[in-house]
Amino acid sequence: MLLVTVRLPPGATLAQAMRHLGLSEKEVDTGYGLVLIDRVDPGQSLYGLRVSEAAARRIDPAAGEGPYSDPRIEPYGPPS
Amino acid sequence: MRVLIQLRPSPDVVAAVADPTVTMTTADVSSPLPGVVLDPSFAPVAVPRPVPGAGGDPLSLHQPLTFSFAGDQATVLVRGEISDDELSTRLTLLPTRRREVVGVFADPVIEPILTCGGDAPVGDWRDVERLLHVAELASEGMDGSGVALAVLDTGINAAHVAEHLGRDVILDSGRSWNPGGVSGTAGRFKVDHGTMCAFDTLIAAPRATLIDIPVLLSERPGGSALDGLLSDAVAALAHLRTVLEDQPLESRSLVISNSWGSFSPRWDFPVGHTGNYSDSLAHPFNLIVSSLDQAGADVLFAAGNCGRDCKDGRCAYPERPIGGANSHPSVLSVGGVDTLGRRVGYSSQGPGRLTANKPDICSYTHFSGSKAFGDGEPDSGTSAACPVAAGLVAAIRTQWPSSRLSPAQLRTLLRRTADDRSDVGFDYDYGYGIADPLEMIDSLRRTARRVA
Repeated sequence: MLLVTVRLPPGATLAQAMRHLGLSEKEVDTGYGLVLIDRVDPGQSLYGLRVSEAAARRIDPAAGEGPYSDPRIEPYGPPS
Repeated sequence: MRVLIQLRPSPDVVAAVADPTVTMTTADVSSPLPGVVLDPSFAPVAVPRPVPGAGGDPLSLHQPLTFSFAGDQATVLVRGEISDDELSTRLTLLPTRRREVVGVFADPVIEPILTCGGDAPVGDWRDVERLLHVAELASEGMDGSGVALAVLDTGINAAHVAEHLGRDVILDSGRSWNPGGVSGTAGRFKVDHGTMCAFDTLIAAPRATLIDIPVLLSERPGGSALDGLLSDAVAALAHLRTVLEDQPLESRSLVISNSWGSFSPRWDFPVGHTGNYSDSLAHPFNLIVSSLDQAGADVLFAAGNCGRDCKDGRCAYPERPIGGANSHPSVLSVGGVDTLGRRVGYSSQGPGRLTANKPDICSYTHFSGSKAFGDGEPDSGTSAACPVAAGLVAAIRTQWPSSRLSPAQLRTLLRRTADDRSDVGFDYDYGYGIADPLEMIDSLRRTARRVA
């Protein structure tokens, strides 16, 4: 799974994002949902969601941005 | 190359050098030597002659010896420098051209042995408390009261923290948050890395309110090698923005401590790819960090444990290991020093990938504290240095919410008042230096008077 972003009006739902991007439920991590990343302006917010690699590469650049990496993160310690 | 040159000047000169009541200079013991720049700042040192016992071997040092400082037996050392490209020639010619030259020896740079992973603790958390001037902070009303302090890690065991601190711990379950798929209750997670971090935040800010975000426990299923957990950190920060925005604007204070990072470029898109994380401010995680900073949150990240002297075995970046949000311009990147003020050998050095001047500052690590990893084990890594600094930030926020002092202003204050360890301002080992609470308090007092 990879991260993609989409610009939608404030208060948008995952279903709206999926429709906007032309994605099916199978292609999206619905457990992760739609996450608000930034409020771009009063009428538009930037959201993130996790989608399959194939879906990420199919997304129309005019509709969404990405894909972005979703690397592993680990604690910094104790050093080994 | 710096060298030590052993000379045998006249016996009266040797005797004068050996006499502690007499001050001798390099010029007193040696005329200029060809090809050698003598160091006049180095006071000549008398070297005794080893003397074997009666019937002993005059050439062996492996026998009972006495040592003579007599003027006709001892020698004298001076210090100098020989150009690297003339070194072999000069080393050969010097003793033959100048009879007083007995020998020429390397004078290698010596450095203190740095604390590394696996080393015993250097001091304990009470030492850190003293170094952070926690009593003085408290007398200024800076104890973290009312300040939300989020620990994004492996979850907190509050009972363990309270037991080892010897005092109550305030933890807000309501504002804590689990990533999807993570079960468990805030404050009741297994004792591990997150418990160490929580303990360390409370050294400087004993009355801060902990918010438990066990983001490192999440392992989302996925279909590619890049599947991982940074997306959970995105969601965690989105949650924390709601925590921040629920606070009244005039008293907002949220400190976010992050002692984690991404160790390998294999887990990321290549540098230059539009979806790359390590080197791109446009990555969604780096965007949400920027937005939280603008909303008034203080975001701190550990610089990492990939220092050149003794890096963590997981470090896979061949250079510039401080990347991604750990090097973000809107976060405070924290390197580690031990309680003696020396950089720990594993603390990552700059330049950073998103911002060159990283780490920003250093704070204390490798001390006996939470005992989260066992009785003899230190709170270590820049993992400990980051929450120690986060506690200091939370202490300041008690009196200085983000409406009075923005996160950017607070970072500038920390850098400006830090104890510079290099004497040259910023450097890639210590950043601007070790966070100095007394200097910060003084500066904030002056600011308060100016504003009043």
